[in-house]
Amino acid sequence: MSDRITNSNYMPLDGIRALELAEIWAGPFCGLLMGDMGAEIIKVEAIQRIGRGPIAPKEGSAGYPEGDPGKAPWNRQGMFNAVNRNKLGITLDLGSEEGKEMFLDLVNISDVVFTNYSNGVMERLGLGYDTLRKVRPDIIVLFTPGYGNSGPYRNFRSMGMAIDAISGHSSLRGYPDEELNTNSLVHHPDAVAAATASFAISAALYNRTITGKGQFIDLSQAEAFAPHMGEMFLEYQMTGKERSRRGNSHPVLAPHGCYRCEGEDKWITIAIESDTKWAKMCEIMNAPSLAINSKFSTTSSRQKNKSLLDKTITEWTSTRDRYKLFYLLQEAGIASGPVLNSGEDAYQDPHLQERQYFQVVSHPEAGVFPLSGPIWRYPLKDPQDLPHNPAPTLGQHNSYILSEVLGLPNEDMEILAKKDIIGTDPLLGSDMGGIRRLKSEK
Amino acid sequence: MASLLLTGIRVLDLSSGITGPYCAKMLADYGADVIKLERPQSEISSISVDPIEEKALFLHLNREKKSITLNLENHAGRELFLKLVDQSDIIIENYPPGAMDTLGLGYEFLHKRRPNLVLLSVTPFGQSGPYKNYNFTELTIFAMGGAMHREGLPGKEPLRYGGDIGMYFAGTVASAILMASVYKSLLSNNGEWIDLSIFEALAGHPHQIGLRAPYIYSGATDDRTMPRSPTGRQDEPYAVGTFRCKDGFVSFLPLGTRMWPGLARMIGKPELITDERFMTGADRRMHFDFLEGILQEWFNDHTRTEVFKAGQAEGLPCAPIQTHAEAFLDPQFLARNYFVSIEHPEEGLLSYTGLPFQVSDIEVSPPKPSPTHGQHNKEIYMDDLNMTHEQFAQLCEDGVI
Repeated sequence: MSDRITNSNYMPLDGIRALELAEIWAGPFCGLLMGDMGAEIIKVEAIQRIGRGPIAPKEGSAGYPEGDPGKAPWNRQGMFNAVNRNKLGITLDLGSEEGKEMFLDLVNISDVVFTNYSNGVMERLGLGYDTLRKVRPDIIVLFTPGYGNSGPYRNFRSMGMAIDAISGHSSLRGYPDEELNTNSLVHHPDAVAAATASFAISAALYNRTITGKGQFIDLSQAEAFAPHMGEMFLEYQMTGKERSRRGNSHPVLAPHGCYRCEGEDKWITIAIESDTKWAKMCEIMNAPSLAINSKFSTTSSRQKNKSLLDKTITEWTSTRDRYKLFYLLQEAGIASGPVLNSGEDAYQDPHLQERQYFQVVSHPEAGVFPLSGPIWRYPLKDPQDLPHNPAPTLGQHNSYILSEVLGLPNEDMEILAKKDIIGTDPLLGSDMGGIRRLKSEK
Repeated sequence: MASLLLTGIRVLDLSSGITGPYCAKMLADYGADVIKLERPQSEISSISVDPIEEKALFLHLNREKKSITLNLENHAGRELFLKLVDQSDIIIENYPPGAMDTLGLGYEFLHKRRPNLVLLSVTPFGQSGPYKNYNFTELTIFAMGGAMHREGLPGKEPLRYGGDIGMYFAGTVASAILMASVYKSLLSNNGEWIDLSIFEALAGHPHQIGLRAPYIYSGATDDRTMPRSPTGRQDEPYAVGTFRCKDGFVSFLPLGTRMWPGLARMIGKPELITDERFMTGADRRMHFDFLEGILQEWFNDHTRTEVFKAGQAEGLPCAPIQTHAEAFLDPQFLARNYFVSIEHPEEGLLSYTGLPFQVSDIEVSPPKPSPTHGQHNKEIYMDDLNMTHEQFAQLCEDGVI
């Protein structure tokens, strides 16, 4: 029996089985969304190459329960466990004949295969769309390499940060008064591709229900991300001018920015959308004269005197608690929001708590912790009913999937384990880009 | 143009802003019939927004969609709306929580009338909770999402991303959740009410949840550290980040110590590979300044294109930082015919971003520009709803349409 807790056949993707070949955060996010919606996601990993952090991290390393990597750190890594919740996990060496055959047997009983492997990898493994389609004609296959399956960049090493650079977004990030080389690298486009992939797969499932046909979906991360800035391409054509870096400010509105609050690295963002809102804010600041001061009485005068304006506001915010300011301003209908981190701040936020955003997840090797749950709600359903199974340990469901579901006899399972085609312990070097890569570079 | 994956689906889009309309656009891009409901009076352009930016945004978000006008705050308007609901599968709205109920159009009522309907309510903070009536802009909600805390220089204020990335991301997530429920409704003839909030979508972004678990496991924090700190590997840190080169900047990220030989070869110094000083990752980190120096020297002598080519030849993840104007002419986008030329009756011929993904076996329809205000009133009210000309004229006069 699967150890999954699913009581919910009302979940939209209940009954759908998807094979996930994806690494790190963003590719797995597609599987996360689908798994949160009730699909059975089988994450296909390999002991030859793992994306679960180093095999032997130092004692006290961050991201492990109480800083203790334990005997099997690959099963205790926070980042992996967060992004791979609600999934089953198997290991298969797809570079071996047997591994490949078992994968194809799985394809035969699955609805979807999705991967963010680089262009050409699946074909080289003998698992391209044509092969998959022969096994199961209505299979839905989604490949999402950085640049797509064709074009001059198709074999380029890509990551989210590269898409961010090529697409135009990086040029708009950063402080207006600093050089671009003070910018960090941002991998956000990966996450966009993953969410787009989830949409694409459901759309293909819809279509298949009507037509009976599967699909091959070619999702270029660059092409999925560019529409998030679609208006900028049009602005350029309409005016011949490009947007410049704005930092946290706005071309028209002021005040519009990020203001220091009491405490270490605590900030609040405030956006004043009208003179009326500005007058309200001045009341709250106990400085009503600022509303009629000619330097600040209109949007355009405030824009002109932005430096002085921001300085004046900072004098007020810097001695106050960001959450108190947030509540005060929002009570007056003013758009504001504290800058929150993803850890302590998220857990402590009253709204997320009331929304039951976190679920207690019990992981067999990492322990019991409250983790992020599904990021949306069905208002007529109890959030406690939404699936909240732990991420799989390495090869955790080999027995269930290969033996129970595919019917492999025990002797065969033993042989496969001896040949390292399946397994639950990563091979030496599997955390450094994979053992085959190491071999090829010697 | 639309890839006709979703032919036959009809969407009523009541939303404004970016998140809802972009979600609706995803459906329109793939062949759903998306009807944008606007108020009978043309919206007064907000003085708080740049008019060109506002226009460009409208053109982008609303191509492939139809426009009708309808006053929902009026009994006759609501009756008309319900007739439209009878022919629709999806409603997308972003009114303040409770507003649809007040209009007599809450989910339970709609569900009784049209059981297969999927209602997507997409709001800044959700249908419940202490912040549900709070105001927002891209800046303030992005700040709360978690990514902003990590961006920018330590000591300076944290930075948002460019554009309206947060709202678009929430729209994309919304489309994923919506589409799954629409698929389910096709099978079960039973719809769903989805409550998606921008705040929770951003807080649930894989980078945020990926950093949240390390916090709860071991107290790890996700602060702004080095300006070039990547989310991930710290190997070869002297080569990680945004670098100035001859004609601009490049983003560079070697994925681990195994990429060191390629790096040394790229900068034309293969002898460093066997240099005792630089044998291990730890050695190289100790010589951070020296290695950063020679790398920067090499960058200074090469254009972005040259760096891109040389880096890729050695299998090093890197890319030139381009402006949108440059991205427009990028060989990869051009080779894949990504941008779509569309003639708009008022704005003329412009190139738009194309489909987010390609589907192999599906017909594609010719592209349609964004609609003018109420452009499809006659088509929808008179053709689809069989209204007579007199009824139509009367409703227009009454301010219902």
